[in-house]
Amino acid sequence: MSASLELGRGVEWIHECYSEPTGHLHVSVYLVRAPGGDILVDSGSFYHRDSLHSRIESATDGRGPRALILSHSDYPHSGNIPTFREEWGDFEIVASVASPEIQGLPYARRARIGESLDVLGRRFTFLDPPLADRSHTTWIYDEEGKTLFVADGFGTIHPPGHCDSWWGDLPLEGRTEGVLEFHDQTLRWLIYVDPDRLMTALRDIFARHPAEVVAPIHGPPIARADLEAYLDDLESGVRTIVSTHAAMTTEEE
Amino acid sequence: MKTHREIFPGIHWIQECGPNRQGIADAVVATGAEWCPAGVALHVPQNAYLLTGERTLLFDTLSPAAGEIVLAGLESVLGDRPLDFVAISHTDVPHAANVSRILRRYPACQLVAPAAGETHPLYHLADATLVGPGDEIDLGGLRVTFPEATFLDAALHTWMTEETTRSLFTVDWLGFPHMEGECLQCVDELPGEIDVSRLEAFHSRVMFWFQYVDVDTVRRATDALARRYAGYSLLPSHGLPIREDPERYYELMNEVVANVAASGRTGVL
Repeated sequence: MSASLELGRGVEWIHECYSEPTGHLHVSVYLVRAPGGDILVDSGSFYHRDSLHSRIESATDGRGPRALILSHSDYPHSGNIPTFREEWGDFEIVASVASPEIQGLPYARRARIGESLDVLGRRFTFLDPPLADRSHTTWIYDEEGKTLFVADGFGTIHPPGHCDSWWGDLPLEGRTEGVLEFHDQTLRWLIYVDPDRLMTALRDIFARHPAEVVAPIHGPPIARADLEAYLDDLESGVRTIVSTHAAMTTEEE
Repeated sequence: MKTHREIFPGIHWIQECGPNRQGIADAVVATGAEWCPAGVALHVPQNAYLLTGERTLLFDTLSPAAGEIVLAGLESVLGDRPLDFVAISHTDVPHAANVSRILRRYPACQLVAPAAGETHPLYHLADATLVGPGDEIDLGGLRVTFPEATFLDAALHTWMTEETTRSLFTVDWLGFPHMEGECLQCVDELPGEIDVSRLEAFHSRVMFWFQYVDVDTVRRATDALARRYAGYSLLPSHGLPIREDPERYYELMNEVVANVAASGRTGVL
């Protein structure tokens, strides 16, 4: 397995998988090549610490990252920050949390949602994510690479043997169900949503921030050519989650 | 400063007030909300609840900034007694951050975590005792259950009840900021009432997804909760305990959801 997989425009995918009964869940990080050094997006889970450490070390020629941009402080995203900083020095942490000390990130530089920041000479815009679990989550739009890093939405449970595939290259059989399954198990609040309202918000983000690649932490990268297909699957999945909940509620009543 | 007190026989509240939330205070003042005068310090707390029957259980552990607060609270209340269980509502950092410290201090303590969710090993919870609807822990004099979290953020999540006092621990739901001078007070001890705008100041930031909901669907879920837990006190993780007139708060929350759905979120925490 190579250390990282090139996504183009200076972005590489370092993927790890967690095995679930029905398939694999990605718990990935991304590496962004910036003029001032390499930037990690998220730190991954301590569950994959040794493998991630080795692959990041290899991908950065032993230097490690010079900065890390965090989607949110949930442990599978932030859990390796202390260890990686011990190993590679106190590199900069950029995070959208409003109260860094409460989230265990007292050293973080705050990225305010809605603003853009320069990190090591590359510009990122921090977006309010319609699909997330924690309130301080941000999606991260790489202005130069037009890559949108997303957590926790846009995941897919994928079959073993396809861990390094782009979303568009996953087997069609089960792919739609993988999108549904991920969102059903991860974002339980979707049972309450108005699908039209949610999908409008999502499509609005892509209209304002055109993405050549959508780079989920919990799923394979989605190329621009496949984005509409993914959104169709997502909308179908959300509608299924809502209707299933409605049916269960009616039955209980 | 005192950071814990007993709010029902055998239920001790340990409070981390956290920093002054000036940004939220300024935003609230700008709305003209009467409950928040200009210049006052505003806190969005983290709460842990220590239950002491014949056996003892701590529900949630406060943030990484409050390790000393929770350990001091435990030692003050327990003295030489052991902590038998530490239960986490969910794995969010401000709720679960001090589990390791507590387990080091009380090595015989049993870690209890939500059964809901699929990714326990990603949170060092592979060996925890997992609980969910239908499960009960008899503490001897106190009895806790673990109903599904109706309103939540992360999937790996549980609410808790204590049945002898009829208390519902609502975790992230029903949070609200309090002002300096209101720390460690229950709602029934405040001079005024909690209104919609105070609940909205919290939920429009934390339950950001209210902006995408079908309001009637949420109302049905809230009303079902009100029927199921009629008469239960409401003990949130980010607000002050509600011991009196809990029914009022379900209807207030329906208004909050309608407002956030109409106006969107107001910020982040």
